[in-house]
Amino acid sequence: MSAPPSMAAAIAASLPAPQSAPTPAGPTYEAIPASMSKVIDIEADIPLACVQLDGMVVSKIIKHAREAHGTSAHGVLLGLDLDGTLEVSNSFPLPHHINDDDDKSVKGVARYQASMLRSLKEVQADDSVVGFYQAMALGSFYNQTLVETQAIQQEKLRHGGVVIVHDISRTARGNAAFRAFRLTKAFLDAYKRNNFSTESLINHRMTFSSILEEIPIRIRTSPLLGAFLDTLSAPSVSAEPSFAKPSSALPPSFSVLNLGTNNVSKNLEQIIEAMDAYKTEEGNLAYMQRQIAREKGKADAYVAKRKDDNAARIAQGLAPLPEEDVSRLFKIPVEPSRLDSMLLLGRIDAYSKTLEETSSTALVKMYASRGSAVV
Amino acid sequence: MPLVPETSALTIQNGSPGFLSTPGRTPTSVTVHPVALFTILDHYLRRTESQDRVIGTLLGTRSDTGEIEVRSAFAVLHSETAEQVAVDMEYHHTMYELHHKVNPKEVIVGWYSTGSNLNTYSALIQNFYSQEIAPHQAVHLALNTGVEEGQQSGVKAYVSSPIGVTPKPENAVFLPIPCELQFKETERSGLDLLSSVSNGSTDAYPATDLDILERSLQSVSDMLDRVLSYVRQVLVGEVKGNAAVGRYLMNTFGASTDELEKGAFNTSLQDTLMVSYLANLVRSQAEVSTRLALATAS
Repeated sequence: MSAPPSMAAAIAASLPAPQSAPTPAGPTYEAIPASMSKVIDIEADIPLACVQLDGMVVSKIIKHAREAHGTSAHGVLLGLDLDGTLEVSNSFPLPHHINDDDDKSVKGVARYQASMLRSLKEVQADDSVVGFYQAMALGSFYNQTLVETQAIQQEKLRHGGVVIVHDISRTARGNAAFRAFRLTKAFLDAYKRNNFSTESLINHRMTFSSILEEIPIRIRTSPLLGAFLDTLSAPSVSAEPSFAKPSSALPPSFSVLNLGTNNVSKNLEQIIEAMDAYKTEEGNLAYMQRQIAREKGKADAYVAKRKDDNAARIAQGLAPLPEEDVSRLFKIPVEPSRLDSMLLLGRIDAYSKTLEETSSTALVKMYASRGSAVV
Repeated sequence: MPLVPETSALTIQNGSPGFLSTPGRTPTSVTVHPVALFTILDHYLRRTESQDRVIGTLLGTRSDTGEIEVRSAFAVLHSETAEQVAVDMEYHHTMYELHHKVNPKEVIVGWYSTGSNLNTYSALIQNFYSQEIAPHQAVHLALNTGVEEGQQSGVKAYVSSPIGVTPKPENAVFLPIPCELQFKETERSGLDLLSSVSNGSTDAYPATDLDILERSLQSVSDMLDRVLSYVRQVLVGEVKGNAAVGRYLMNTFGASTDELEKGAFNTSLQDTLMVSYLANLVRSQAEVSTRLALATAS
């Protein structure tokens, strides 16, 4: 029957033509104009989750640390922070300045850094500073300069730079150790206010272990580097293998299986030194606290006496004496900063941790080499 | 032997080996440090599109016997066209000054280039570097990255000596000298780390000391397994035993640990136990002390 189709057609014809929904304009990508790039900093919102070290940086830091034994080796890290990962692609060592307070040497170091950055830029190396590295021995990296430098850096750099700490004695033992740190917020807060009195410590719940927080590190080698290393460590094929000479440029090493003293005596000496320094520091702190308490006691006694006098005079009907400003009469010394003692405690802890690790591996090796079981 | 212009004979001039460190000596061998190699590779990776090969300066030390130790390297700007080659000397001097401040012991010992083709430009650059460090001779390190087909990656070292009738700078022949990789024991673990990373091992980083020890012991255990299977095969008669190998094994396994028991081994063991206990004690003390400081009522 033709009626329903025509009716359907009529109804269809009467409906307004469906409007094609306006297609939303596809997202257009415009480059952020340079003037706005400082304001809209997308990368800064992504927090740093991990640090990626390039293979070349690893070997450069190890070489510098080994050559500068005695004086602590430090230098600058260059790279790029990308998508939550800080990629360190290059580094260069800084000359060791003898006297830190000397204005000329500070400027000299700044000049060195600027000059090096310029030169590296010309050969298309990354030239943005992302942190600095410090090499030390036997685990002692809690010191004043590290904290100061990192604090300055954390303000200036976009993601707050990281400190990469390298322990050369651990590398000598067979375990190449790189750790990346950054100052915790709590510590930065207290440091900015330069207030390390007891109450500020309590407020921030600061112990020596909460000064620095560790960031995981990943090591990356470029494929070219990997191929080169493979070529070096592959044993060369020869008809008559000799026993004396290893057949590859990079033979496997078993130096970690050596029984030895492992720097135990030096480590113990350093612990004792640090503990002595800590004891002195604590003695000083206690002395200052006692002085403060004494002065406070005197001030309080004075105020109380004044109050009594005033009460007595009012009772007698005389005008009360003015309550003088106590702080002008009694100089209450400022509460001393506990930063030094905290850093010293951190050092003691780090030294003893290293000692613990060395002695545990030494124990394993000694028991293993004993052979016969002795109860 | 000086060149005599009247004769038409070609002469090759070489420094006579002396027993004292005379300044004009030719280097006899080169040892390269891994840092220098990695720096060169990194520079090669960062080159611009137009550059086919990159060059740079080598820094290191010279010994009295003519052995050159290359400790580090830095890149130098250079451009190479069909007609001419240009090297940025200003840059080279600046970088050398900067590096010298940190490491006063390192001096310029030569230059490197990636790609092993030695052409006229190489001779010219070699001549220039030799003039820089006169009276010593410059070493040229040719690093082949092995990126192109058919070329093996490797490092070769050369010194140049003039050849030809007229002493022009581009008339030089490159004489190869032995070159090997050398590194200090302390850096060994760094290299191990890098090679294990490049092999794609998924061990967690950072590894504790005990992990490293475990891996070493594991590899020793594997080696012992291999030796054991080889010995079994020889005993059964499958494989003809090598006398030298047998003697070597006998010497190695003959060592006994009896004399360890006597002597100071046990006391040393006790000392280590005590040190370990003390270290733990100190750590817990430090922790307690720092918490006590927090608990003091101000």
